[in-house]
Order: sequence, then C-alpha cells, then structure tokens
Amino acid sequence: MSLPLMGVFAVTRLELRRLFVRPLAWVLAALTLALLAWRFVLLLGGFLASQIKLAALPGGPGYTDLVGIPMLSSILTGGILPFGVAELALVIVPLLAMSTLAGERSNGTLPLWFAAGLPASHIVLGKYFALMLWLLMWLALALLMPLSLAHGVTLDWGKLASASLGLLLMLATLAAIGVACSAFTTLPAMAAATSLTLGLALAGVNLGAQMAGVGNGFFNWLSMSDHLESLLRGLVSSADVLWFVLVIAVALALATQRLASERERG
Amino acid sequence: MTAPTAVLQLDHITRHRAGRPAVTDLSLQLDSGQVLGLLGVNGAGKSTTLAMVAGALVPDKGSIQLNGKDFVEHPELARRAIGWLPERAPMWPELTVSEHLDAHGRLRGLHGAALAQASRKIIERLELGSLARRLAGVLSQGQRQRLGLACALLHEPSLLVLDEPANALDPVQVAALRGVIREQAAAGTAIILSTHLLAEVTAACDRVAILHEGQLRYDGPIKDDDHRMLEQTFFDIAMRGDENSDRMQAA
Repeated sequence: MSLPLMGVFAVTRLELRRLFVRPLAWVLAALTLALLAWRFVLLLGGFLASQIKLAALPGGPGYTDLVGIPMLSSILTGGILPFGVAELALVIVPLLAMSTLAGERSNGTLPLWFAAGLPASHIVLGKYFALMLWLLMWLALALLMPLSLAHGVTLDWGKLASASLGLLLMLATLAAIGVACSAFTTLPAMAAATSLTLGLALAGVNLGAQMAGVGNGFFNWLSMSDHLESLLRGLVSSADVLWFVLVIAVALALATQRLASERERG
Repeated sequence: MTAPTAVLQLDHITRHRAGRPAVTDLSLQLDSGQVLGLLGVNGAGKSTTLAMVAGALVPDKGSIQLNGKDFVEHPELARRAIGWLPERAPMWPELTVSEHLDAHGRLRGLHGAALAQASRKIIERLELGSLARRLAGVLSQGQRQRLGLACALLHEPSLLVLDEPANALDPVQVAALRGVIREQAAAGTAIILSTHLLAEVTAACDRVAILHEGQLRYDGPIKDDDHRMLEQTFFDIAMRGDENSDRMQAA
C-alpha cells in the first residue's frame, strides 16, 4: 500500500473503531432499524391486503413499488408513513458526523493528526470513509428487510438497484456535508444542527417552486429530493449522479480547506 | 562514540496566534543525544514553539530543518522522526490504552508484528500493563501523561518533543520520567522539553533555552554548579524582561 493510502487507511481504521465503541452509533442504529422494521411490517401488511385488487390490474404496482421502494423513502409515496431510510438519514447522518472533526477539536486531539504528518485531505477522507462504511452497513441492513422476501415475490431488481444507488448517493452527500460542518466548529452539537438544517434545506428547497408550478428551474436543480426521486423511480441519469458527486466534492474540499488553514493559522 | 549530529535546526521562526506574535525570530539547534529544556513563564511561547517543532503548526516565517531536511515543506517527515507529548496529553476518551498505542503506531507508520512488538515494549517500559484495557477517558492525569509519553516513544523517534511532561506526575513518576529521558538521550534521541519548573530543567536537561514574550533570551549549557545562577537568570528575564542575562554567560 502506498504511503498516502496508508495514512488515509490509518485514519479510517481509527475513526471506525471510535464510531463502533460510541453508544450513540449503536443507539441510532438500533432505533432506526426498529423503526424501519415496523415500517416494513406495515408496508407488507398493506401490500398483502391489496393483493386481490392488484391482481386485477395488468401492469399494476408490485412488491418493489409498494414495499421495496417505500422502505427507502416516502418521497414517491408520502402518506402516513413518513420515515423511510432517506428521511431517517437526514437526522442520523448529522448526528454521526458531528464529532468527526469538531469532536477532535474540542478534545484537543486535532493537533495529533497534524503532527503525524498527515495532510488535511487524508484526515478528511479517512474520516469520511469511516462514516461511509458505517452508513453502508446501516443501509445494507435496511435493504435486507425487503430483500428477505425476494425468494417469494417478483422483485424489480433494476428499480431496486437504482433506488439503492440513489440512497447511497444521498448518504454520501449528507455525510460529506456533515464532515464539512464538523470542520467549521468546535461544538459537535453546532455541527449537527448546521448539517441537519443544510440537509433539510437541500431536500426541500424545491417545495416552493413546485407549489408555484415551476418544474424545471434552478431550485429544482438544487434540490436533493428532485435528483433522488429520479433514481427512486428507476431512472439512472448521469446528470443526477453528477449532482451528488458535485455536492460531495464541494463539501469535502471545504472541509479540507478549513482543516489545512487551521494548521496554518493555529 | 559517534559524533552528535544536528537533528533539529530552527532558523528565525516567527509565529502569530490570535493576531499577536507568539514566537518571534527564534533560532535554535538541537543535536542528537542532547536534552534541551525550554523555560519560560506562562504565555512565553513554549507550547507554540513545540507545536511548530512537532509539525502541528506551521511557522509564519523562517525554516525548520529536521535531520537536514526542510520540515515545513515536507511535514510528512514528522511521521517517523518525531514523537510529541502535547500539554495535558489529549486522548480519545472512548479508546483503551492499548487501542491508543495501536492508533498512534499506525499513524506513525508501524504495522503488524513491528507494531505489536513496539506496543509490548513500551507498555512494559512505562509499566502500563495494568492499564492496557482501561479507557483513556477514565485515566487519572498522571496516567494520561504516561500514556501520552508511551505514544510519543512508540515509534522510536529521533526527536522527542515533550510539553510539560511532569504535569500531574507524583514524585516517583517524575523520577521515572527523568530516567526515561536520560535513557532516550543516551540512545541518541534529541529531546526538547518545555516546563516552567527550574528543578525539572536542572535535573533532566543538559542545555537550557529561556523564552520570554516569544523571544529567545538565553540559550546555554547547564553545569552542575550553576543552578542558582540559572534561577537568578530566569527570574531576571521573567520578572524584568532582562536582556542582559550575562550571569550565566559569564559563569
């Protein structure tokens, strides 16, 4: 392994270890997965109850549309079950990301990273990757619920894969925003609040435009839910993927810049 | 015996913090096996100097050479060459003592068997065995200092930077710390330690530099019979900012 990669790997390993020994990560995982399991049972109950009606509809919605995708997000379905993986992610990612750099700063351990000769980019990337690994595991566990019935139902694998990609990109974006917010403050709670607000703003920035009947303006482009929605519908477009990549890159670049200037400024 | 070589060379380094000069035009050289005590009252610029030497801060002006290479341009040199114990020994409270050693070792480029061996060695040397599985967050300040020292020594650096290492240590631990410092120096490690305790400097160091208001006011060797002179010089500088600290020079 090359020296730069070793540095990033060392940071990721340490950060992941810290995430796994913190009660917060376990509590969040337990509570959110319990909530998702309850959602899964309710969605499945609804699906089973409407079997007769659905059978009469040629080309009507199936298990993927009525259980698989609504498990991931309520953007398409709305209704009385608002908290899918996407909505929960808006809350838990800021909570998990808040300590990544702000915690180091308040702990006094940030200079230890600098003194190890690691560039700011390696510190930021290492911490980001650790957070992403945790979120990947969380997403995988959430996906296991609808997938557990894959042998008994007809799954639209393409649509589920596209929706999972959308969720993964959303988690990656929120994590990058969380790390960036954490880079700008000493208080983890402040980082969480800022990151939560930014996430909510990005998710809902198009609501006003939608109410005004504008479907293709700047605010729609800016909105994360607009890009996620396409992927949830099974449409993978490079423009949507690029939007997520762009936000991730900008957020991580800002975090790196902030950290590098901290070493410079003290 | 091999001739001492320059491990650290500070050339006219200046650093501002919070808009005020914290260190001004500081030049120093430290050879292998030498123990330099950095003395000064609170706010004299000791910790800022050590943070720059450790690579945690970048000087505004001037250069730092580490083993003959420009350290400001190549901060990665710090990875294997420097061991740093910052003031108050910051830790990750949720990690155990052995996890700290593991993390520091990896950050400093140690892996696998080499890391395991280095950890075992330092745990034994600093008597951390009984604390190995204890969380850093529940350690006493003295135990934290020992763990911080262990992390600094783990990768056998050629330059050891200790910021107030005797803080919160009991007399027995202070004596043990002095023993470790002497052993490291005998093995060729260049050591720079900051303190505001004169006794610490005279007991552990063979050279002293006195900082006042960010400037180097005195730099010279310590001899066995000049403790009182050192004390007088320190007070002259600290109380009156005396530029003419000639007593030691004359002695």
